[in-house]
Amino acid sequence: MIETIAASRCRRCGLVVAPPAPYCPWHPVAMTPTTVAGVGEIVSFTTLHSPPEGFRSPLQLALVALEGGARFLCHGAETRSLKIGSRVAIEAVDEVYYFAHLGAVDRARLFWRRAGHAGDRVNAITRSVVKKLWRGGSGGASG
Amino acid sequence: MRDVWIAGAGMTRVGRRTEGLRDLMAEAAHAALATASIERPDAIVVAAMNPEEFLGDGNFASNVATHLGFADVPTIRIETATSSGAAGFYAGFAQVAAGLARRVLVVGGEKMTHLPTPRVSELIGRSIDPYERSYGATMPALAGLVTRALMARQPIGEREISQVSVKNHAHAARNPYAHFREPVSLERVMSSRMVADPLRLLHCCPISDGAAAVVLTAERTPVRVAGIGQGTDTLAIRHRYDLTSFRATQAAARAAFAMAGFGPARVDFAEVHDAFAPFELISLEDLGLVPPGKAVRATMHGETALDGRLPINPSGGLKARGHPLAATGLAQLVECVWQLTGRAEGRQVDGRVALAHSIGGLATNNWVTILESA
Ligand SMILES: [Zn+2]
Repeated sequence: MIETIAASRCRRCGLVVAPPAPYCPWHPVAMTPTTVAGVGEIVSFTTLHSPPEGFRSPLQLALVALEGGARFLCHGAETRSLKIGSRVAIEAVDEVYYFAHLGAVDRARLFWRRAGHAGDRVNAITRSVVKKLWRGGSGGASG
Repeated sequence: MRDVWIAGAGMTRVGRRTEGLRDLMAEAAHAALATASIERPDAIVVAAMNPEEFLGDGNFASNVATHLGFADVPTIRIETATSSGAAGFYAGFAQVAAGLARRVLVVGGEKMTHLPTPRVSELIGRSIDPYERSYGATMPALAGLVTRALMARQPIGEREISQVSVKNHAHAARNPYAHFREPVSLERVMSSRMVADPLRLLHCCPISDGAAAVVLTAERTPVRVAGIGQGTDTLAIRHRYDLTSFRATQAAARAAFAMAGFGPARVDFAEVHDAFAPFELISLEDLGLVPPGKAVRATMHGETALDGRLPINPSGGLKARGHPLAATGLAQLVECVWQLTGRAEGRQVDGRVALAHSIGGLATNNWVTILESA
């Protein structure tokens, strides 16, 4: 499955935030629970060379604009060849979210999934992309 | 609302200091009171971001007031993260403007260099949204995200960002109160170690100790507070839709200029919150001091240097004067007062209107203050 990320939506302005929050940052209005798919576009990313205690160095961080509207901060396994605007999939590994770059083939398959085809295969691909890149790491990133 | 004037200003040398915070604050406060020729203020505002954890000291308003010899003077403590000094100035301004007090001492400072750097980074990082912090986000990390987004939006390269550091170090070399007194070359900035890609070490302000103070008064002096404004934004950076400008700065500038009754074209020089070099470029545009998209050109053409059309950070800025957190917003105003009254020896600029801009957290709680020669 493509990761489903818990989120919430403001009834007044439509802002979607992830993880869910009781109130919209801009309105004192209770938010409605919703979910967003773990697929989106890189807004920005950085490699932190002196991360805080409990995180391995270097630490890859990215801000991702999810298709469902929320922006999401997550870890990455790899930022080489990553650009602002790159398509990424997000996956939880031990309750921590990671992004992985989606290649052209993966993107094409995602398109077909949206068109209602081959969903399972795409899900398997995004999952394997994340795992392949991430499992090289030695963990200890949950802080 | 009554007019509010600045009667006195003083600060300590910024850097690695062996004195305690209370002693640094006493040095700055007594210097400001001495230039104001005032022995005892009606009220005191103390600005300190986190003495509880940096020092283990609480009840900090009473702590400082007693240490200064003002145990009988009503004192409050103010905090808005890294802009606490500017917020303290606002609190003092409000007391005088409202007629609650005639003469208010505002003193701010921080002492950090006695702690290991990772510990200091972690404590400063507590001003970040808890969820983002749980992913290892620190101030440099979030500033790295902002910088990369800025470089993608505008034709800004590493060279342009580095030029801000070169300029501000050159200014600080002329400021005896600055943390760094040595100029740095563009090559040295661009080859310093990577901190949060694309931000390098010499794009980031140092960890500094220091204190600064001003005395505000209802009586006429050579420097008037023309306007002050606060602007805010979401704690979490992921809830913002634009990383390349700061809403909190824009809102603070709008409020400050509205109070002043004039616009940014009247500003002759400014102290701008360059905790990270690219923030100076972002802020110049957010403040309206240069048109959108023109900050790089102004910087590369020397317009923002000491001898330029619009000197920015004549003190050396956070980058090179140093950033003792709650001292910074006040140190900016002290520099503006010294410049406006011809007491900035070695780095004196011309001008009648000065602007100070202070960022709290990752631009969640910002201030703009405008001072004018009477
Ligand atoms: Zn809302």
